[in-house]
Amino acid sequence: MVRRFPASALIGGGFILLLILVFMLLPLAIVAAASVTAGSFLTFPPQGFSLRWYGEVLASTAYLDAARTSLILATAVTASSVVIGTAAAIALHRRLLPGTSVLSALFLSPLVLPTIIFGIGLLIVASIYFGGPSLVALWVGHTVITVPYIVRTVAAVLSDADPQIEEAARTMGARPLQRLWFVVLPQARAGIIAGGFFAFNVSFDEAVVALFLRSPGVETLPMRIYGQLEFSPTPAVAAVSTLMILLTILLIVAIERFLGLRRVAG
Amino acid sequence: MPHPLRRAERGAGAFGESVLLIGPGAALLIGAFLFPVGQILVLSIVPPEEGLSIWANFARFFEDDYYLRVAWRTFRLSVIITLVTAMIGFPLAYVVARSPRIVGYTLLLLTVLPLMTSVVVRTFGWIIALGRGGPVADLLSLTGLGARDATLLHTETGIVIAMVQVLLPFMTLTTLGVISTIHPHLEEASRTMGAGFYRTLRHVVLPLSVPGLVSGSLLVFALSISSFVTPNLVGGVRLPVMAGAIYQQATSTLDWNFAAAQSTLLLAAVLGLLIPYLALTRRRHG
Repeated sequence: MVRRFPASALIGGGFILLLILVFMLLPLAIVAAASVTAGSFLTFPPQGFSLRWYGEVLASTAYLDAARTSLILATAVTASSVVIGTAAAIALHRRLLPGTSVLSALFLSPLVLPTIIFGIGLLIVASIYFGGPSLVALWVGHTVITVPYIVRTVAAVLSDADPQIEEAARTMGARPLQRLWFVVLPQARAGIIAGGFFAFNVSFDEAVVALFLRSPGVETLPMRIYGQLEFSPTPAVAAVSTLMILLTILLIVAIERFLGLRRVAG
Repeated sequence: MPHPLRRAERGAGAFGESVLLIGPGAALLIGAFLFPVGQILVLSIVPPEEGLSIWANFARFFEDDYYLRVAWRTFRLSVIITLVTAMIGFPLAYVVARSPRIVGYTLLLLTVLPLMTSVVVRTFGWIIALGRGGPVADLLSLTGLGARDATLLHTETGIVIAMVQVLLPFMTLTTLGVISTIHPHLEEASRTMGAGFYRTLRHVVLPLSVPGLVSGSLLVFALSISSFVTPNLVGGVRLPVMAGAIYQQATSTLDWNFAAAQSTLLLAAVLGLLIPYLALTRRRHG
């Protein structure tokens, strides 16, 4: 019997792994560390420890307004993309429509098309036909890029569900809407919830489409942070960014509880 | 096995039901996705002045040294970024695949966390890390690789470091998908026949991982040539890349036709990479 992994591979592998993890987490850790500085400038390592910059953020109307816009946008996007994405996933799962594989590709294509190309396209359409970009245009744009996540998570859950139950409901006389409401939606529940958290996270964090659709009076948190980074950021930006990281961690934990990350990522 | 509804009521109410279910999504994607992308293609061939050819916007791009330099920088950096992510992503994916469940799982979680945080926030971290007095710059001057008080901000090296971190999860996840289908028995067979661990890695695992590495590389390259937030903020105005130039023209100078022409070129490049990527990954899922 040979040893599966030689000592050099275990030690070397462990070391490489550690380096990669430090590398992956470095930017997030640095932002979090810089946010608790007691000093007046962005430095790493931070000078002393204080939460004064968090106080500064919570007292700033500009940040609070941006946070409110982001929350409203992400909530509206989650609602619209959950409804549209779940319905589409159920239809795609049944494979009754001609060209289902083409339709599936269409529904997943916003995941692979670079957002910069989509962003400029939306800007052009909003400006030519709708009198300029607006929060509504941003809502539509974010719905397009989040629908694929819902389609994916719901389809993954439905493919494990037992289709005979719906058939049984049908033979027992359940009408289409009853079957949807009492059989299919409960079967898809975990996928819908996990997909919804995904959609919320993507919309809340999205910067590229938002920057293209910049309009007066509409500023989301990522847009505000981007604007600050172009000039000279203060530790307040680090504090806001840290709060955004914490929200993402919460959402990942939620997705993990309902569906399991491996199934979404793989 | 076909869905039972398919057998039971083909053509009857079930078909109409499917149409109703997919209708809103199809309308959204056609109206708010395909149509805007189509608009780019249309605007790109509208000449800037009457009487010029439909290729005028493209000609301007290929005749101007500045834009060619921007395109060349974008291409060159994307090649380097892709190679580096492949070199880091393969061992990482292998370790995740072959570790005990809990270790692999933790690693996966730690790889996905940065992927799901806002790109603006991650880039901000790199701005502090790469800037004067930041840990990466300090490390360089400590090891003698860089001057004292050095900064990697506004350098191509800085762009590569930050972009590799942003794109590594895509490479790892794509490669992991392939490596986890390689049966450990193959490696055991090679080992019992006398090949060492590294020889097995090189001659058994690596060749079998090639489809994952190729599709991961196509994806990373496509994402890399079209990235805008990270290269713009880390590279600054002195080192524009294509996506940054497009953003400038679309939002500041409002030169939409020219921006549309550049977007069309970028789109062509991305599609040229993503179509083989999709074909490769679909074959794998069977």
